[in-house]
Amino acid sequence: MHRKRVVLGVAVAAAAATVLAACSSSGGSSSTSTNSSTAKVTLSWWNNANTQPLLGVFQNVIKQFEAAHPNVTIQNVPMQNELFKTKITPALRGNAPPDIYQQWGSGQQATQVQSGKVADISSEVSSWISSLGTPATEWQTNGKWYGVPYDLHVVGFWYRKDLFQQAGITAAPTTIPQLESDDAKLRAHGIQPIGLGSKDGWPDAFWWEYFAIRECSQSTITSAMSSVNLSAACFTKASADLDAFVKTNPFQTGFLATPAQSVPNSSVGMLANGKVAMELQGDWEPAAGSGLTSDKNFDDQLGWFPFPAVPGGAGDPKAVLGGGDGYSCTTAAAEPACAQFLQFLTTPAVEKQIIGAGAGLPANPAANGDLSVPAEKDAAAANSAAPYIAEYFDTALPTTPGQNLDNAVAKWFASPDASGSGITSSVTTP
Amino acid sequence: MMTAITAATPARARGGRRRSSNWTIMPATYLVSIVILGLTVVPLLYVFLDGAKSTAQISANSTALPNPWVWSNYGQILSSAAFWEFLGNSALIAAVATGLAVGLGSMAAFALSRYVFRGREAIYTLFICGLLFPLQIAALPLFLQLQLMGLLDNQFGVALPEAAFSLPITILILRPFMRAIPGDLEDAAMVDGASRLRFFAQILLPMCKPALVTVGLLAFVTSWNQFLLPLLVFSTQSHFTLPLGVSTFQSTYSSNTAVVLAFTALAAVPALAAFLWGQRYLVAGASGAVKG
Amino acid sequence: MTRSTAADAGLTGPGAADDIAVPGPGAVRRGGRYRRRRKLRKGTELTILLGPGLVLFLGFVLAPIAIGAYYSLYNWDGLGPLTNFTGLHNYKIAFNDPAFVSAIEHTLILTGLSLAIQGPIALGIALLLNRKFPGRTAMRLVIFAPYVLPPAVTAVMWSLLLQPGGLVDQVMKAAGLGGLVQLWLANLHIVLYSVFAVLTWQYLGFGIILLLAGLQGIPAELKEAAAIDGATAWQTTRQITLPLLGPTIRIWVFITVIGSLQVFDVIWLMTQGGPAGASDSMATYMYRTGFQNEAFSYGTAIAIIMFLFCFAFALVYQRFALRRDTRGALTRAVG
Repeated sequence: MHRKRVVLGVAVAAAAATVLAACSSSGGSSSTSTNSSTAKVTLSWWNNANTQPLLGVFQNVIKQFEAAHPNVTIQNVPMQNELFKTKITPALRGNAPPDIYQQWGSGQQATQVQSGKVADISSEVSSWISSLGTPATEWQTNGKWYGVPYDLHVVGFWYRKDLFQQAGITAAPTTIPQLESDDAKLRAHGIQPIGLGSKDGWPDAFWWEYFAIRECSQSTITSAMSSVNLSAACFTKASADLDAFVKTNPFQTGFLATPAQSVPNSSVGMLANGKVAMELQGDWEPAAGSGLTSDKNFDDQLGWFPFPAVPGGAGDPKAVLGGGDGYSCTTAAAEPACAQFLQFLTTPAVEKQIIGAGAGLPANPAANGDLSVPAEKDAAAANSAAPYIAEYFDTALPTTPGQNLDNAVAKWFASPDASGSGITSSVTTP
Repeated sequence: MMTAITAATPARARGGRRRSSNWTIMPATYLVSIVILGLTVVPLLYVFLDGAKSTAQISANSTALPNPWVWSNYGQILSSAAFWEFLGNSALIAAVATGLAVGLGSMAAFALSRYVFRGREAIYTLFICGLLFPLQIAALPLFLQLQLMGLLDNQFGVALPEAAFSLPITILILRPFMRAIPGDLEDAAMVDGASRLRFFAQILLPMCKPALVTVGLLAFVTSWNQFLLPLLVFSTQSHFTLPLGVSTFQSTYSSNTAVVLAFTALAAVPALAAFLWGQRYLVAGASGAVKG
Repeated sequence: MTRSTAADAGLTGPGAADDIAVPGPGAVRRGGRYRRRRKLRKGTELTILLGPGLVLFLGFVLAPIAIGAYYSLYNWDGLGPLTNFTGLHNYKIAFNDPAFVSAIEHTLILTGLSLAIQGPIALGIALLLNRKFPGRTAMRLVIFAPYVLPPAVTAVMWSLLLQPGGLVDQVMKAAGLGGLVQLWLANLHIVLYSVFAVLTWQYLGFGIILLLAGLQGIPAELKEAAAIDGATAWQTTRQITLPLLGPTIRIWVFITVIGSLQVFDVIWLMTQGGPAGASDSMATYMYRTGFQNEAFSYGTAIAIIMFLFCFAFALVYQRFALRRDTRGALTRAVG
């Protein structure tokens, strides 16, 4: 009897609570759809800065903005990156998406624009957006602005100066053959040359994409991304180059199962602990690695050099692969408050705080000098001087072909072949 | 063989007989126990020990003992209000989900095991079908539905679907157990004037304790470790459950693995405690009612 | 009385419940109105017993699944409007994709291994743990503990243990088995079996607990009676315990097969189904090519295919195996 009463009691309580909950729903964004810039507005802000130091920086930034715009309240909703990515799609599908949310531009943005929930802010940003330069154009879709970047990323080689010295390497390699001979020197001294977080797929993609950028001209790359087609001959050549390079055994043992970041046995962890000498990665590498080592000098041991030139390639040896982080406003968000906040994030003073937290390179070139890690400055300089920046293919392409490409490259690394047909055909697979 | 000789001993010498038949069993039991202990405990010990290192230590050498012992990981977690918030949320949701699943599940299993009615097997099959789908297929529609019902960012938005998804396995396990209770008991109860519902509550359920504890533990652990549902439902960090709470120690490019492991070691404690409490009922409860 | 098996003795065993509803000797049959009242009462009782569970289940499980299944007939990325009806196109693509076909193979391998290896081990351990011995509670706790760990942590932990030079390698070298060391997670041919080992570690405890619960339902008197009749422990086990444990074992098989067909968490978090899909199960394939790629309709189509696998098994199993548990007489008196 006692059990039955308990069971019934719980059931009744649950039913009652459901009714109550339905009546007093909570959560979700609550912005008024007024256009006046003096009425009270609240903006919910979904970002991936869920840990220090960027979390604290953003909280400060919110305070500063609210002080300058007393009628605006910003509700910070930080979320770990993978959680955020899982949540944003259903949220855009539902009827209460966040007002401001993070997105990475280009093809991914185009896919999201289809939901009809992303706001076209071209008129609100036209007066100042050009000061951010060419990289910001990744946040245009069909010529209209749907987002604004707040930091940029570039991919290059991060290497340990101490290990290079040990192996007797005096200068960073500038061509692939030089890189291969440096690898041999490192191996001769018992050092694993290059770390690769192949388990996650996207680090593999960096390799293939850089060979593609070195083999293909800029116009080939641009048209390939927009037409979602990798049939040009230079892409096959890129696969052949990569195949020849992989055959020189440059990566660490068991690289197929090594994750890229976060965990101690990741490739960046290995770089941080001196178990590999270099890694082809984005500018987040110092931040990602410093938590995994007790070596306080890690940042200073790092050097940076751009992806070497490929002899005979049609691509510019100074072109870089990169991307960035940005934010978009949804259609329910109050304007011009939303666009003003996005602009605020790109002002030099705020950019300084953001890059101080190790988020990446500033979206506003005026803040380039504020980078703290020496190697980062090299990366930023290469980024600013690059004739063009190719965005990571999986972001430049719409989401499905982009992910297919990453998967295909990862699969290729498990059993490399010179034709790379599995890779080039992956973007057109239905 | 010992047992053959002693088998002839009359019942009164039961104690002696049992002792000698254990000669061959006990060493085997202990040997197996030790092997299992090793295979199970050592990795578990890892979670605990690595939680007492710094992530840098784990990176450098994952198998060494902590040096120095970084108790601050555990300290930091136990003293953070967020951890207890997560714990409370998880506990509340798990309690509701388990209570509902076991309560409604046992009622349904009783109906499906001891009543005869048209459509009984069809309804049973319907429940079992719920087991046959992966949760991900329901994720997006469920999210939209919960949004419509206003259950987002709300504990019941998680507890109710969790209970619903635990129903099939609860019913699957309970139904044969309930069937096995002899009909005489039910008849006897009815002769004494009790309704079938009272028989259910006062006689059948207590007899099914081991099975009830089993399904309760399953529902509890499933809810405790549930990740996808709370992720979809909760946006506000203060509503997070423990598995989501881990993400507060992980960021885009890095993850404080040592703290994550410490966090997990601590988060597993309530579930283990629930098991400790429940496993008493897995002890032999002879179906005493069958005796004359 | 001595019988060769408990089942023959007609003693307590799972039997048909069909007879229970018939009133026993005590009730007096009355006509018309009495019978209607009884019918109404039975209906009411059934509504109370089944109603809430059914409502909860239909509302939160079947409805979303049905809606989700509907999406699989379109080509939809979860964001735009639902306009591109493609019928069974997604299903055709799936079966033509060699990656999916090998995912099916892997899943079937894992299922078979689970039955063949986890079953006997769990049974043996449960039998051993069913007797009283000092430290039994602690043993049970230890065995169940892996099941309690969230899959995320199991994955992280075993990734660390299985990395080149990790604890597993070190222990093997120390035990003189250094020659057998492999790249557990990087070797395409081995990774599936490494994953299976981790899955066993995590889920064995569940099987043991389930079987223990079943063992508790076997009256001790039966074993005592058998022992008095001169049966050895092995004979008792084989001819009394195991048959009576039959229903529980059959449930374990059902849950294990369904669970193996849907296995996701540990594999995804440890290897993402890699490297290069070498450890893909149907569910990890579904998640990667469907939901992660935002090819939502495709992912749902894969989920439907998984359901069909499970459904086919459930149908066959219900017909041939579980049906046994509904047959057989239910005696009304003992001894």
